[in-house]
Amino acid sequence: MREFMARLRLVPAQAGLGYVVLVATAAAYLVVYTSSLGRFPTSFDYLSILNTMLPLVFVAIGQSLVVLTGGIDLSVGGIVSLCVTVTATTVTGTGLAPFGWLLVVLALGAACGAVNGMIVAVGRIAPILATLATLSIFTGLALWVLPVPGGSIPPVVRNVLSNPNVPTGLIWLGVAVGGWLVLRRTRFGMRVYAIGSDETSARAVGVPAGRVKLGVYALSGLCSALAAIFYVSTTTAGDANAGAPFILTSIASVVVGGVAFTGGRGSALGAVAGAVALTLVIDVLFFAGIDPLYQSLFQGLFLVVAVLLGTAATFLTRRRRATP
Amino acid sequence: MNVDMARRFDTVTPGVRRVFYAYAVAAAVLTLGAVLHPGFASWTSLRAVLVVAAFTGFVAAGQMLVVLVGGIDLSIPWVLNGAAIVLTTTSLGQSSRLPMALAFALGVGALAGFANGMGVAWLGVPAVVMTLGMNGVLQGLSLGLSKGLTCASCGSYAPQPLRDLFTGGVAGVPAALLVWIGVALLMTVLLTLTTFGRRVYAVGVNSRAAFLSGVGVRGVTVALYTLSGVFAALAGIMLVGYGGQPSLGLGDPYLFESIAAVVVGGVSILGGRGHYLGVVAGSLTLVAVTTFLQAQRVPEYGRLMIYGLVILVILFAYGRDRSHD
Repeated sequence: MREFMARLRLVPAQAGLGYVVLVATAAAYLVVYTSSLGRFPTSFDYLSILNTMLPLVFVAIGQSLVVLTGGIDLSVGGIVSLCVTVTATTVTGTGLAPFGWLLVVLALGAACGAVNGMIVAVGRIAPILATLATLSIFTGLALWVLPVPGGSIPPVVRNVLSNPNVPTGLIWLGVAVGGWLVLRRTRFGMRVYAIGSDETSARAVGVPAGRVKLGVYALSGLCSALAAIFYVSTTTAGDANAGAPFILTSIASVVVGGVAFTGGRGSALGAVAGAVALTLVIDVLFFAGIDPLYQSLFQGLFLVVAVLLGTAATFLTRRRRATP
Repeated sequence: MNVDMARRFDTVTPGVRRVFYAYAVAAAVLTLGAVLHPGFASWTSLRAVLVVAAFTGFVAAGQMLVVLVGGIDLSIPWVLNGAAIVLTTTSLGQSSRLPMALAFALGVGALAGFANGMGVAWLGVPAVVMTLGMNGVLQGLSLGLSKGLTCASCGSYAPQPLRDLFTGGVAGVPAALLVWIGVALLMTVLLTLTTFGRRVYAVGVNSRAAFLSGVGVRGVTVALYTLSGVFAALAGIMLVGYGGQPSLGLGDPYLFESIAAVVVGGVSILGGRGHYLGVVAGSLTLVAVTTFLQAQRVPEYGRLMIYGLVILVILFAYGRDRSHD
C-alpha cells in the first residue's frame, strides 16, 4: 500500500513533463526568433504556428487516448490520409453543403477507428499489429480515392477552420481541450484510466473493457478525421500520403507529453503540449539557422532527452520522498 | 494412428506449432499464386521472390531478437540507409577499400544498436522512444553529413566484387540466398542451442524472474539491440550490393514489413515465444503476396489493401492474445 501511495505521488513529475518541455521550447523559440530577426514574433507568426500545429494536435489527442488504455494506434497515418483524400475530393459547394460533407468525413474517420477497436477488443489482436494491418488497408483506400495529389477545399470552410487572418483555430483548439476535460471526468474517462492501469482488475470490477476500447479507437479515428480536415484546410489540397508522417510524430507528441506507454498515466493535455513543442522545435531550428537536413537529428535528440529528463525527475522525486 | 499423431502434435510447444502454421501459410500463398498465375512457380520467379524475401529476412532477424524480449526496433530504416551510404562513401567504389568499408558499415549498425540497447536497458527509456529517436538521429546525420546525398563521394557505387557477388551469385545460387541460409542457421543455433538463447527466452517470458534467477537482463538486452543494428546494416550492405547505389528512403519500407514478417512468422509480439525458421516463412509469405499482386498487375491501392487484409487474416488465424475471461 505504501508503495502504491508513493507511486501515486510520482505522477505529477511525469505528467508535468509535457508542460515543462513546452515552456522550455517556447522560451527557446522567443530567444532564437528575436535574436535572429531583431524583433518579437508578430501575430502573423503565432497564427501560422497555430494553423500548422492543429492537425498534429488532434492526432496526438487521439493517440494519447489509445496509449492511455495501454495500446498504440499506427493506423492514424492511414485514417488521416483517407480522410484527407475524401475531404479534398468531396467537400465542395457553397452555403452549408460543405459542412454536411465534413460531418460525413468525421463519421468515416470514427468508423475506421471503430474497425480498429473491433479487431483489438473482439478479435483480441495486439493493438500494434491490428493497426499495422489496417494502416495498409486505409492507405490503400486513400490511394484509391485520390491516386495523384490534388483536390481543393471551398474558401468558406477555410475561413471557418484555419483562417489565415483570424485565429479561428484557437476556437477549435479550445473545443478539443474542453472536450478532453469533460471526457476525463465522465464514467468513460475513468474507465479508460482503469483499463490502462490494470485491465484484469478493471474487468474484475465490471468495467466493460471491450466497449471502452472500441470507443477509444473510434475517438482516435475521429481525431484523425479532424486532423485531416484541418490539414486540407491549411494546405488547400489533398495527398494520399499526407498521413504517413503523423504516425511517428503523434507517438513522439504523446511521449514528450508524459503519457506512459504502459497505460493509465498521463493526459491528452500533455500530448497537446507535446505536439505544440514538437512543432515549435522545427521553428527553433529554422531561426537558429540550422541546416534543415539536420532537422530530424535534433528532433530525435529532443525526443530522447525529453524522456530522459522525465525519468530523471521521477527518480529525483522518488529519492526525495524516500528520505524524509 | 491419427489420434496418436494428433496427441503428438499437442505436445509440441505453441511456439513450434506456429512455425508449422507459418510454413502452411507460405505454401498456401505460393500454391495459390502458381494456380492463379501460371509461371509464378517457375524457378526464375521463385528465385526472385526468395532474393527479395532475403532482404526482409535480414531486417526481420534483428527485429525478431528485439521482439523476443518484448521490445521493438523502430530505428531499422535509417540504420539500414545510413550503413548503405557509409559503405559507398568509404569504399569510393574501389575494391581495395571494400573490407574497411564493410567494417565501417557494420560498425555503424552495431554502434546504433548498442546505443539503443544502452538507452533501453540502463537508462530505462521505453524501446519505442529510444529507437524512434535513434531513427531520427541517424536520418539527420545521414542527410546532413552527405548533404542530402549530393556530396562528392556520394555518387560512388558499391565496389565491383560486392556487386558481382549479389547480382551474379555463387555457382548459380544468388549470394543473398546463401547469406540468408547462413543467417537462418546462425539465428537457430544461437536461440535454441546456446545458453545465450535460453536467456533470451527467459527474459522475454518474464524479465523479473530471469533477473532473480541470475540472468544478466541488461547485458542480454544490449546484445540483442546491437545484433538488430548489425542485421539492419547487413541488409543495407546487401541492398547496395544488389542495386549499386544507395538512395534516400531505402530503408523506409522495411520498418513495418519487418514487424509484419516477425508476427506472420509466429513470434509473439509480447515476447518470449517464436523461432527464426517461422520468420523465414513469414518473410516469404509477405514477399510472395506482393510479388503475386504485382504480377497480376493489381494497382498499388489494391496491393496495399490486400496486403493488409492478408496480415489481418493471418493474425486472426494464429496471432491472437489469450482471452481475459
